Amino acid sequence: MLLVRDVLDKQLLDRQGHKMGKVDGVVLEYGTDGPPRVLYLEVGAVTLAHRLGARVGRWASHLAQRLARVHHESYRIPWTRVRKVNLEVTVDEAVEETRVNVLEDWLRQNVVERIPGSGP
Amino acid sequence: MKRILEIALGIITGIGGFLEAGSLATAVQAGADFRFELIWAIVLGAACLAFLVEMSGRLAAISKHTVADAVRERFGFRFYLIAIIIMQLVMLLVLAAELGGVAIALQLVSGVSYRWWTIPVALVAWVLLWRGTFGLIEKGVSVLGLVTLAFVVGALQLHPPLDDVARGALPHLPSGDAAHYWFLAVSILGASISPYLFAFYAAGAVEDRWDVSHLNINRVTAGFGMGFGGIVAIGALVTAGIVFHPAGIEVKSYEQLPVLLTTALGDWGFPLFVASLGIACFGAAQEIALTSGYMLAQGLGWQWSENLQPAEDARFSLSYTVMIALATIPALAGVDILKLTNISMVFSAASLPIVVGPMLIIMNDKRYLREYGNGWFSNTMVALIIALAFVLAIVSVPLLLKGG
Repeated sequence: MLLVRDVLDKQLLDRQGHKMGKVDGVVLEYGTDGPPRVLYLEVGAVTLAHRLGARVGRWASHLAQRLARVHHESYRIPWTRVRKVNLEVTVDEAVEETRVNVLEDWLRQNVVERIPGSGP
Repeated sequence: MKRILEIALGIITGIGGFLEAGSLATAVQAGADFRFELIWAIVLGAACLAFLVEMSGRLAAISKHTVADAVRERFGFRFYLIAIIIMQLVMLLVLAAELGGVAIALQLVSGVSYRWWTIPVALVAWVLLWRGTFGLIEKGVSVLGLVTLAFVVGALQLHPPLDDVARGALPHLPSGDAAHYWFLAVSILGASISPYLFAFYAAGAVEDRWDVSHLNINRVTAGFGMGFGGIVAIGALVTAGIVFHPAGIEVKSYEQLPVLLTTALGDWGFPLFVASLGIACFGAAQEIALTSGYMLAQGLGWQWSENLQPAEDARFSLSYTVMIALATIPALAGVDILKLTNISMVFSAASLPIVVGPMLIIMNDKRYLREYGNGWFSNTMVALIIALAFVLAIVSVPLLLKGG
């Protein structure tokens, strides 16, 4: 398996098969000896911004910190929770227990549900 | 039986969905200025579109992934970001032109300026997306869109010299103003090979849960649907070639166009023209707005489906909502809708390489397509289309300045 070819940017699914974003980043650990180890997958706009360049990344972190008072860092999924890697990456998580959908939930509660006809 | 119905629906989708503001406007301008000389551009455009539609449908049926998905997954976030920004800007322009087209149709009926109709039109389009399901929109657009066949009937009523029409179907050099000729050729190709069309089609294949058993239907829909769809545009071109060209009439606005069908079809001509323009543009507007949401949601891994309630896919639903709201601005500001249509078609042509280019690699990726990847024929075709796309991208903007 190749990290960049097979994991990075792939669709993330939780254990129920719900979509939980794409794999926006992969966190590696370089030890003093041996090859680097994969620690986490990251999901979040701040991670994406860091991939565009250091300055964009710093600016995005700063902005996220101001906008979201509680959590502003990307969500991390430990590599040990990865269950399957094919066209999608399936992880042993439940999307509703994570905070990858903070924006989705905020928009639903504050915008969409205030517009008539948004539910059944 | 079910299969026959599905095939029929596929062909209807092609016919009813082909014509929109861009293909209509470019076809009648070509007919007015160059008689039948530019028919080949419609034929070429429809053929290219058929191949791209077949491929994106096959990708979706086998892998359950769309082109937008695959672009992010296979080419990474940076490339996706550039592609999505360009695509959203182009779709915004085209959507603005389509909404304007519907508003002009209503202006022709009511005498009230299209500017007043823009908000009501956008609101109705949005409500249908907000409350409707994918099947309703897909079938509604295609079945009602059959009214555009009026252009084919109209063209036949005018008894065009068929040998001249056939000669126009073969590419050849212009007899008059070359810059304007090539500008119209590029606009026609840009209007026919619209990236939103095959992106919408692929998302639709996922919405309808296509699998391997749909490959035949996919092939038939792509081939016959786009083929017959192209005939509708040729009908519009031929009508203009007979009604406008001999009289030396230049097309300067949509308001001139009803005479095309009243000459051919008498009293029925006016209502049929207005219905064709209004319905074709309205259908296209819905498809473009949805596609804009689809491409964002797919590339960023969000939950998406037109069959869910908006509360279940808030980001997706808000994407098309924002898109429709922004697209009302040009018409509200009183921009000339025909000019807007022409410009949006040129930019659509200019944006082609960024969507068509990745297809060559994606369609040969075994992880997506298993043993259903492209053969040598499809690969040759897609390579030719990419070459054409690059030529269009390079010449489109200079031609807009010189010949537009």
